[in-house]
Amino acid sequence: MAELTEIRDEQLLKMMQGGDEGAFTTLYRRRQGGIYRFVLEMSGSPALAEDVTQEVFMALIRDNRGYDPSRGSLLAYLLGMARHYALRLLKRDRTYVSIEEGSRDDGKLAPHSSEDPYWAISRQQSIQAVQQAVLSLPEHYREAVVLCDLNEMSYEDAASVVGCSVGTVRSRLHRGRALLIQKLAGGKKAEAGSKAIDPSRCLA
Amino acid sequence: MNCKDFEIMVHEIVSGRAADKTKQLEGLEHAGHCLWCALRLDEESKLTESLQAFARTLNVQRAPARVEEALVQAFRERSGQAAAPLLGLAGKRLWRRLSWGLAFAATVAATWIVIVHALHPHRSSSAPQPQVARNAPPASPESSPGKRALGSAPGQIAGQVNAGEVTTDFIPLRTCDDSECMEEAMLVRVALPADALLSFGLPINNDWVAGQSVEADVVIASDGIPSAIRFVN
Repeated sequence: MAELTEIRDEQLLKMMQGGDEGAFTTLYRRRQGGIYRFVLEMSGSPALAEDVTQEVFMALIRDNRGYDPSRGSLLAYLLGMARHYALRLLKRDRTYVSIEEGSRDDGKLAPHSSEDPYWAISRQQSIQAVQQAVLSLPEHYREAVVLCDLNEMSYEDAASVVGCSVGTVRSRLHRGRALLIQKLAGGKKAEAGSKAIDPSRCLA
Repeated sequence: MNCKDFEIMVHEIVSGRAADKTKQLEGLEHAGHCLWCALRLDEESKLTESLQAFARTLNVQRAPARVEEALVQAFRERSGQAAAPLLGLAGKRLWRRLSWGLAFAATVAATWIVIVHALHPHRSSSAPQPQVARNAPPASPESSPGKRALGSAPGQIAGQVNAGEVTTDFIPLRTCDDSECMEEAMLVRVALPADALLSFGLPINNDWVAGQSVEADVVIASDGIPSAIRFVN
């Protein structure tokens, strides 16, 4: 297993095709966290994240020949599948819950650098507020924020997951962040987004 | 850089995603002169910090162990199923072929044995030795008292029949147009497997058991070729 952990995803996938259980286990342990978190961040539901993670890897077991390396990384392929399953389940059941207690208690956050009254809320409240704000974003903006900001994916990889152009991801991320600022401002600074296009703002 | 350009790439300036590092520096320089853009940069920075803090709380999140257990089990079953059908299919095909082959071989062998016994009893070393009853040229069935012949063979050849024996009619084994071929004929008593009856369309008794034999009279023509046969009960 020590050697398997150094093998690239694509090679592990080929070994899986040959029935190598160790390769499958290595690949699962390497990638399940990212998939689980992506769905958790998108839905706020650990149960849904668990179901989708299992379904993604079950699909890989059933038919692992659908991956085309020329179209992106294996992680992007798996996240694309996870996105597909998650959106389908979310559309079927809109009454998903917010992120549960487990994620609330174990955060070891760096102290907030600002004492601004707007941002100087407690760490716990801040995290919950961010969670709720992300979950309340429209789907397209949410997945751009989750992929690019929360998971630090490149525009290219995010575009591969979502199945759109890099420019679309970029603009969705921009718009999603503007909406997040509005939501976190609690409506007090609802004009933040429109401020961006206010020509009178430009002093330079 | 103006405010519009700054706004387009402000989140990239904060996150360091700007493809053109020169523009990133220009953006930062612009925020140093523009109050509104400085505020925007501050908002975006705080948002990025909050999102990073949120992401850190989720970093420890993993799918439960039961998911891995279920998946490994599924993988094992899938791997097993991938090999099993090949073996199962090959086994079934082999068994089917063997069954048909054995049945065909058994049929051929049984037919061959019957024919060999019926036509060339004296040439078969493995066949039951005929209980030879080299008789004189057969007399007519009616000439022997006490016998009960069921019929006569072509050429009116009939062998002597012991008292109490019941025989079938002679069944021709070949066409013999030349009546002379029967002039020097001999009647030979042989023992054949009972299922030889079937090859002549005759029924077998219900109490027949495998290996049981049945007696028959074979007419051997002057040229040495069996010409007719009758079964004796």
